[in-house]
Amino acid sequence: MNLERWNPQAWRHTEAASVVARLVLGSLFVVMGLNKALDPVAFLKLVRQYHVIEAPLGLTLIAATLPWFEGFCGLILLAGIAVRGTALVSLAMLVPFTALIWRHAVGLQSAEMLPFCAIRFDCGCGAGEVAVCFKLLENGILILLSLWLLIAGSAKWRLMPGASRRQKFSNASV
Amino acid sequence: MVLPRRHRFWRVRRNRRRRGNSDRLLTLNMPAPSEGSGWRHELRRTLGEALAVAGLGLALALVANAVSPRGLKLGRDYFPAVASVTNVIAASSVSLPAAPMITTNQNRASEVAARLAGRGLRLIESAEAKALFRDPRREQELVVFIDARNDRHYLEGHIPGAYQFDHYYPENHLPVVLPACQQAEIVVVYCGGGDCEDSEFAALALKDAGISAERLVVYGGGIKDWTEGGLPIEVGPRGSGNVTGGTP
Repeated sequence: MNLERWNPQAWRHTEAASVVARLVLGSLFVVMGLNKALDPVAFLKLVRQYHVIEAPLGLTLIAATLPWFEGFCGLILLAGIAVRGTALVSLAMLVPFTALIWRHAVGLQSAEMLPFCAIRFDCGCGAGEVAVCFKLLENGILILLSLWLLIAGSAKWRLMPGASRRQKFSNASV
Repeated sequence: MVLPRRHRFWRVRRNRRRRGNSDRLLTLNMPAPSEGSGWRHELRRTLGEALAVAGLGLALALVANAVSPRGLKLGRDYFPAVASVTNVIAASSVSLPAAPMITTNQNRASEVAARLAGRGLRLIESAEAKALFRDPRREQELVVFIDARNDRHYLEGHIPGAYQFDHYYPENHLPVVLPACQQAEIVVVYCGGGDCEDSEFAALALKDAGISAERLVVYGGGIKDWTEGGLPIEVGPRGSGNVTGGTP
């Protein structure tokens, strides 16, 4: 590892971006997760509308656990714990879910003969009925934020103490 | 050599400035590409973190669901005969893309009627629901209305005198609803109307609980059709007396 090339200025910008990404992603996950956890039956019905899982146990398991799981991921992102791992988990949730929204919207569009962006439905995201184009854009941004956190990580203002790789470099260079 | 704190700070700053801005990759907390083992280590660590987060998150989610008063019962089938219901709905929405809305609704109603008939239940329309509401037997609770929606929607307004039976939480409602249904000659089950299927599932749950299918009817139009018809609505709990809207 070449510690001579460490750049504190760019580092500060990276850290700031990571903290913002963590706060945005974490807050959204907590709010959306809680919205769903408070009414799991409504979420169960919405999961069913995608016709991906027909087995009763699978449907119920997803509706019962996903909202709490989402809230948990949001909390640990806010706390700055295991940021990269959580970003990877968040990507694993967001990418297939976004693809499902897109597929469902295409189905609705062909059934209702409406322009794509005029399609509105409750996607089960915890924010009620939304325009599909807005939702896809929002999810695209969340995917980018998750990707950023996966690459950059984040150590600033984290709850758990302990030296990150970066702090080790900084100490070594001193 | 240990420098005084102030000197040490300036030396570090100067050294960093001299090093320049040559490699931004390092600022992303990633090892240099040349260090293959570093990448592998980072990847392994991230995957390990992700697995730990997933495992711990899932365990906590299961506990939270079990503790929550609104939690779902994992072993329960909330959508009995789910495959047939979803297939019919999916088929109707895909096969009728260009048809006028009224035709779609009629087709959907006839499909729902056929599906209910297959389960031994009968679909009724607005006029019959209205007649049953005016039936003198309703006063003696020989005609009973059952609202299959959740607490919030029920309290916002239901057909006057209707019992609530949210079939997703049967244990909360069956002790009251079941005796009323057992003594009734006709049980009218309704929900929100439109694509709402809760009335069907609630009727099936009542059938499973021992109510004869001949006595069960499903009011497909539901509360949407009822309010659009200008019919009375009772706000709050059953028997609150807070009735608004049209006259029966």
